[in-house]
Amino acid sequence: MNGGEPVRVTDADVDRLAAQIGLVIAPDRRAAVAQNLAVLLAAARLLDELALPETVEPAPRFEP
Amino acid sequence: MNDATASATQIAGAVRAGKCRARDIVAGALDRIARRNVELNAFTCVLDERALGDADEIDRRLTQGHDPGPLAGVPFAVKNLFDVAGITTLAGSTINAERPPAPRDATAVARLRASGAVLVGALNMDEYAYGFSTENTHYGPTHNPHDASRIAGGSSGGSAAAVAAGLVPLTLGTDTNGSIRVPAALCGVFGLKPTFGRVSRSGVVPLAWSFDHVGPFARHVADLAAAFDAIAGPDPLDLVCSTLPVRRCVDQLDTGIDGLRIARLGGHFMTLATDEALAAVTRVADALGARHEVTFPEVHRARAAAQVITACEGAAVHLDDLRSRADDFDPMTRDRLLAAALVPASAYVRAQRLRLWFRAQVNEVFGQADVLLAPTTPWTAPAIGAPWTTRIGGTEVVTRGHLGVFTQPLSFIGLPVISVPVVTRGSLPLGVQLVGRPFEEAALFRVAARLEADGVVSAPVV
Repeated sequence: MNGGEPVRVTDADVDRLAAQIGLVIAPDRRAAVAQNLAVLLAAARLLDELALPETVEPAPRFEP
Repeated sequence: MNDATASATQIAGAVRAGKCRARDIVAGALDRIARRNVELNAFTCVLDERALGDADEIDRRLTQGHDPGPLAGVPFAVKNLFDVAGITTLAGSTINAERPPAPRDATAVARLRASGAVLVGALNMDEYAYGFSTENTHYGPTHNPHDASRIAGGSSGGSAAAVAAGLVPLTLGTDTNGSIRVPAALCGVFGLKPTFGRVSRSGVVPLAWSFDHVGPFARHVADLAAAFDAIAGPDPLDLVCSTLPVRRCVDQLDTGIDGLRIARLGGHFMTLATDEALAAVTRVADALGARHEVTFPEVHRARAAAQVITACEGAAVHLDDLRSRADDFDPMTRDRLLAAALVPASAYVRAQRLRLWFRAQVNEVFGQADVLLAPTTPWTAPAIGAPWTTRIGGTEVVTRGHLGVFTQPLSFIGLPVISVPVVTRGSLPLGVQLVGRPFEEAALFRVAARLEADGVVSAPVV
């Protein structure tokens, strides 16, 4: 997806992150979850690489 | 009139003129579904008795001199993500199958029925609309009518297949990242993803709140326009539904394309696609005399942001079930939703910021053109059970995810898009996206109608 190192996610990463939000990932699913998380984190890395103006604020607009 | 190939417009005209009965039309659709659904697996629920009862009511109103509406007697079906009164909304899952029947129709379903159309059933999809293939493990894959060994696309795969096979002339689906346009392209039919907020999502199970869209499928442009006209407009039950007035699109079909500036989208939209997918765009561009090319900046990052937002919002919708009963999810969906739940919040916020920035950049480009052309998918329908990854142009991509490479950046900022079908004899169908400014669906219908009239695009029954 980009020119940097591939995103690597280990089974241990999956367990650590899942525990923080009360998720239990079955052992036989960790590899698949890690593979999918690597895809999403690669996408997230693409977002990190682009500097946006500070004025771009993701705030809602309320109108009467 | 051949009911299987007749357009919705023809059917409604014949019913309203008293040339045929709605009951006979609906009975014909039910018969075709009974004969072909075993092969296609497009329908997950068929409403035989109710549909015939509704058809009888249309006939009775006509007999009494009342007008049942512009879609009188037209059989239609909806993705099983839509609430249908008295039926449990599956959302492609077995978890939601445990829920009670919906108390009322989704707004879009109710509006089609109020226009005289007759609901005949609910259609297969990827679980929770999180996919591009309709290879649903619980309910089986939907097969592409052009080649039963291939996917119909998704997540509204049943909606596209049912129309392509002539089971019904009209269906509804939803599109978050391409779930109307991808199956429309792979099955060779017309599909409209309206502007975000143009059609109510009330009564539709969400995938990603900030860019779920409702839209129709059809084999004819006039039918697509008639369905859009019936369902578009404000709805107090959907807080993001726009209050802007609706411009009737059926009135625009014969107005031609004079004055419209049409350009091809370059850059990202010309890469990582097969030659035939790009040739389909060239064919449409040539027919329209579109020689100008424009580009959007940072489209690959816009697509990445769409992936992140969808994942985070989708995981948030299902987090309680992921915690308590992950085993009950479709394996095709479960591992992706579990992974999505682990994405850091900073990525989601950054994706939302990029969305605002990207929308502003694209608005600038629309100063140069009114309608833009791009491929809908990078290739024709893959085989059911295709491998996780595929190589194209020396790059390895996720086979199913890559189907949305050209659709995701557009729905990401809510633009209206019609996918028009390009069918070449002996080949599988492809789609070309007609992309417009927000709330300018009428311009897209003018272009689609011209292409259909000139025989450049068409959706024959298969």
